[in-house]
Amino acid sequence: MFRLILKLAWKNAFLRLSRTLLVVIMIAVSMSMMLSIQGIYDGMTSNLIDKTKRSDCGEISLYNPHYRLNKNLDNVIKDAKTIEASLNKRPDVQAVVRRLSVDGLSATARKSAFSSVVGINLDEEIAFGRFDKFLVEGKLELGKRGVLIGKELAKTLKVHVGSKVIFSTQDSSGEINAMALKIRGIMQTSNVVLDRSALYVERRHLERFLGVSDTVATQIAIRTAYPTLQATLQKAYPQLSVMDFLELNPMLKQMQDMMSIFNSITFFIVILVVFIGILGVMYVSVLDRIREFGIMRAVGMEYKYIRREVLLEALFVGVVGYVVGAVLGLLSLVYLHHYGLNLSQFSEGLAAFGLDTVLYADISPIYFINTFLAILSASLFSVLLPLRKIKHLNPIEVIKAET
Amino acid sequence: MIQLTEVQKYFYRGESREVHALKNINLTIEEGEFSLLNGPSGCGKTTLLNAIGALDSVDSGKIYLDEKEITTLSEDERTLLRLNEMGFVFQSYNLVPVLSVEENIGFIMKLRGFDDNEIKNRVKEVAELLEIQDKLQSLPNTLSGGQQQRVAVARAVASKPKIILADEPTANLDSKNSIALMNMMRRLNEEEGVTILFASHDEYVIESVRRIIRLNDGSIVED
Ligand SMILES: Nc1ncnc2c1ncn2[C@@H]1O[C@H](COP(=O)(O)OP(=O)(O)OP(=O)(O)O)[C@@H](O)[C@H]1O
Ligand SMILES: [Mg+2]
Repeated sequence: MFRLILKLAWKNAFLRLSRTLLVVIMIAVSMSMMLSIQGIYDGMTSNLIDKTKRSDCGEISLYNPHYRLNKNLDNVIKDAKTIEASLNKRPDVQAVVRRLSVDGLSATARKSAFSSVVGINLDEEIAFGRFDKFLVEGKLELGKRGVLIGKELAKTLKVHVGSKVIFSTQDSSGEINAMALKIRGIMQTSNVVLDRSALYVERRHLERFLGVSDTVATQIAIRTAYPTLQATLQKAYPQLSVMDFLELNPMLKQMQDMMSIFNSITFFIVILVVFIGILGVMYVSVLDRIREFGIMRAVGMEYKYIRREVLLEALFVGVVGYVVGAVLGLLSLVYLHHYGLNLSQFSEGLAAFGLDTVLYADISPIYFINTFLAILSASLFSVLLPLRKIKHLNPIEVIKAET
Repeated sequence: MIQLTEVQKYFYRGESREVHALKNINLTIEEGEFSLLNGPSGCGKTTLLNAIGALDSVDSGKIYLDEKEITTLSEDERTLLRLNEMGFVFQSYNLVPVLSVEENIGFIMKLRGFDDNEIKNRVKEVAELLEIQDKLQSLPNTLSGGQQQRVAVARAVASKPKIILADEPTANLDSKNSIALMNMMRRLNEEEGVTILFASHDEYVIESVRRIIRLNDGSIVED
């Protein structure tokens, strides 16, 4: 019996081939476009998140609780060196960096800008977040007087590789001191704050310049794959504030939320298109065959079997549309994942948000699962109206209306 | 086998205008009959046939199929009654277009849950009786009108219903096909003992039946 109904549904679904194909194409095209947009949106967000993690806070960062309100040298993590060492021993920690950062003024003969000097260890940073990948000009080296400078800051100061910069700030004893630095390389992290204000120097030299011990740091950043680590560390270091990536970057959290709203909206529109498409084709198809259904009812076919047939028919249209759409969408996502979407025409605007000019798509099986479920339910709902037509059908009337 | 007592049926059109389509019908159809409801257009043939076939309800009176009263059944019960006890042949477009002739003939048997082997054998048997055995794999729309009607008869008869009700089965056929169809139905009646009740005013049907029930204006005027 089920085989017979299956056969009826399959044959009827493709009886009016061009009509069905039109709906299949409609579903497939809108679905693959949605998948691509979703992939690009997610790729954009995750790219930004990834760069922020790599260049700054990792998944988790540790601070002196007072530091984020008052960034002065009184509010450092005192025993940072030992903490770093013990963190490095944990199996749930992938990488750790400790940074010493201080705000001040950088100046050339003509220009000056508010900026921050970040004392780093290059090897640690490379292991932590592929710091070397952020270099856009010059060489990745620091040495005694060397400095790597954020790209936007370099623009503001009108400096190049080889230029000299004076950075002045208060040292630990309260004196204003200045250090003369020579630019070795220019860094672009796409992290807006860093690109606009950061000067990276060798941590040892900064410690000596500021007159602080080599055990302190303003920030300890951690890479980890374990979401529970934050709570564990907060318990282990109650004197520090242990913050995760999203707490430290509320803007990115907002952006993530906004992207997921965009995604939901496109998703909803596409599902609506699918719904209307299948509804249309099923409605016309049922009206076309109203006599056939009348005869079936007359000879004793129960309504539930007819309902099953119509439902399966809609599912066939939906699923075929889905399969074609999934293949198209996957192809397009794979392309966008490897080659990206080149938006260099709009690059000025994008860079202002910290975005790259070439956007690469994410690919996630979730896209396909969600779409499948949504198309499934859209197909099922779309037959409700056509089925009403059949349910209230009076076989006598339909048979009488012949000739 | 089928017994109608004092059956009345009204149709309502709009507010007040009603049509008294069946007036106090008393009628008995015995097993093995090959009979005809005849009369001028609008006299109530189709209405009576639909009432007997449990396609339509009546307003008063009783209809019995064997011992069972069918006038009091619910919509769903009537659907199952039609499936299990009745065979229908209508004027035209009887068949499911996407199914082959073989599947069309076996359709009701399938709905009733016969097993595939039994269906196959029975389909072959009735197809031979109706001389469509070489069309079994064809689709209905590749058949002539006469052949399609024979497929419809084959479908109706295949599941061995108590009675076959045929409303104007020859209306869309030419004389040659009408005669052929009637001959085959008569043979079915004689060889398989199927009870068949026609509603028609076609001369070829009148010529071949054994009993004519004449209706006029909703009443039986001659039997
Ligand atoms: N659904 C309906 N609504 C209103 N009146 C109806 C309906 N069906 C039938 N009638 C009326 O009932 C009467 C009997 O109709 P019926 O269809 O039974 O006639 P018939 O003998 O089959 O005619 P024909 O030979 O033209 O098929 C007619 O007057 C018809 O107009
Ligand atoms: Mg009639």
